[in-house]
Amino acid sequence: MKAVRNIRLCTKDCMCLYVCPTGATDTENGQIDASKCLDACRACVDACPEHAISKVPFNYPPQQAKKDNVLKALRVLLDSKLKQEQALDNIIKTSASPAQKQLAKALKMSTRLMAEDLLRESGYMLPQGAPAREFLQGLLDKEQEEGFPKEAVEQGLKLL
Amino acid sequence: MSIYVCMVCGFDYDEAAGEPGSGIAPGTKWEDVPEDWVCPICGADKSMFTRQGGEEQKPAAPAPEPKKEAKAINTNYKLQAVMASNLACGSKKQYREELSGFMSQVADFFEARSTPQGDLDDVLDLLAQDSATGYAQAFEVARKEKDRGSQRALTWGEKVSAIQATLIKRFNKDGDAALSGNDIFVCDACGFIFVGQEAPEICPVCKVPRFKFNKISKEASA
Repeated sequence: MKAVRNIRLCTKDCMCLYVCPTGATDTENGQIDASKCLDACRACVDACPEHAISKVPFNYPPQQAKKDNVLKALRVLLDSKLKQEQALDNIIKTSASPAQKQLAKALKMSTRLMAEDLLRESGYMLPQGAPAREFLQGLLDKEQEEGFPKEAVEQGLKLL
Repeated sequence: MSIYVCMVCGFDYDEAAGEPGSGIAPGTKWEDVPEDWVCPICGADKSMFTRQGGEEQKPAAPAPEPKKEAKAINTNYKLQAVMASNLACGSKKQYREELSGFMSQVADFFEARSTPQGDLDDVLDLLAQDSATGYAQAFEVARKEKDRGSQRALTWGEKVSAIQATLIKRFNKDGDAALSGNDIFVCDACGFIFVGQEAPEICPVCKVPRFKFNKISKEASA
């Protein structure tokens, strides 16, 4: 397990710096250095007065398996949300009314969140899970249009 | 005297008490509450309320309009954009900023290629379809398979979709006045939309605190 810091809860009491035996908590980017964090240690978690630090696994367990009929039903809704988003894109692009644009932007953000949620429940909860890897690998295996960020996909797959 | 419950947020409209805060006097029967009245907590319209204790059920939702000739819309790019943006979001939750950045690049690439197509009425039609069949069918299989994660997503999604439809109808009816200079707030967890001066203290749908809301302001007119 490795420690992670919720930066919104952190009030800079710095107890984690005092108690960490390896210096993993003292970094320039607000996060705890996982490469220095000790698997069985929870000194910072216990010391933090704001409960801003928790421990998560180095490797997450796979997501619960999904049934095909559930996937199919979620996919119907997802397709509808995708079409809704494209209609909202059109309003954002072409509407002359600032109020209508404002509404369309809010609706788009909301629709995207629902679409992502449907995907998460369709096996894409964890970026490191098998379905996500297959998706990224599939992008590399296919011929892609110009400007495709091939390196980003390759680097991402490596990081997973 | 009966109580009517908002299916989005759980607010009780008690006929005996009325809702003086939004101008409804004590003793006002549900059928006398104006049709454009909305839930004071979440903004859902009257169609989203059901009578407590059942019976006198609200009439079944009108069947959706006969579907227009289904337009062929290529959603492939959009699908890939959402796949990638979801992975970016999931990476961020694990504090993996570098990975999240790569996934966002992929999302941006596909998003730029997706074709904007349709209008607010198309969105409304699709929402009506989701509400009449999409959610009901997905709920049925998710319950059968005891897939509680999916049921959770469907519970939130059905409520948020209902709020979306309410807002679009209100905008179609009242135009700019529907927003009357207010900001719009979108819950970052479930997508619930709130129109007002300030986001609600907690999200009426998924109960996250106020700081989880994103503010969408009106663009300054040129």
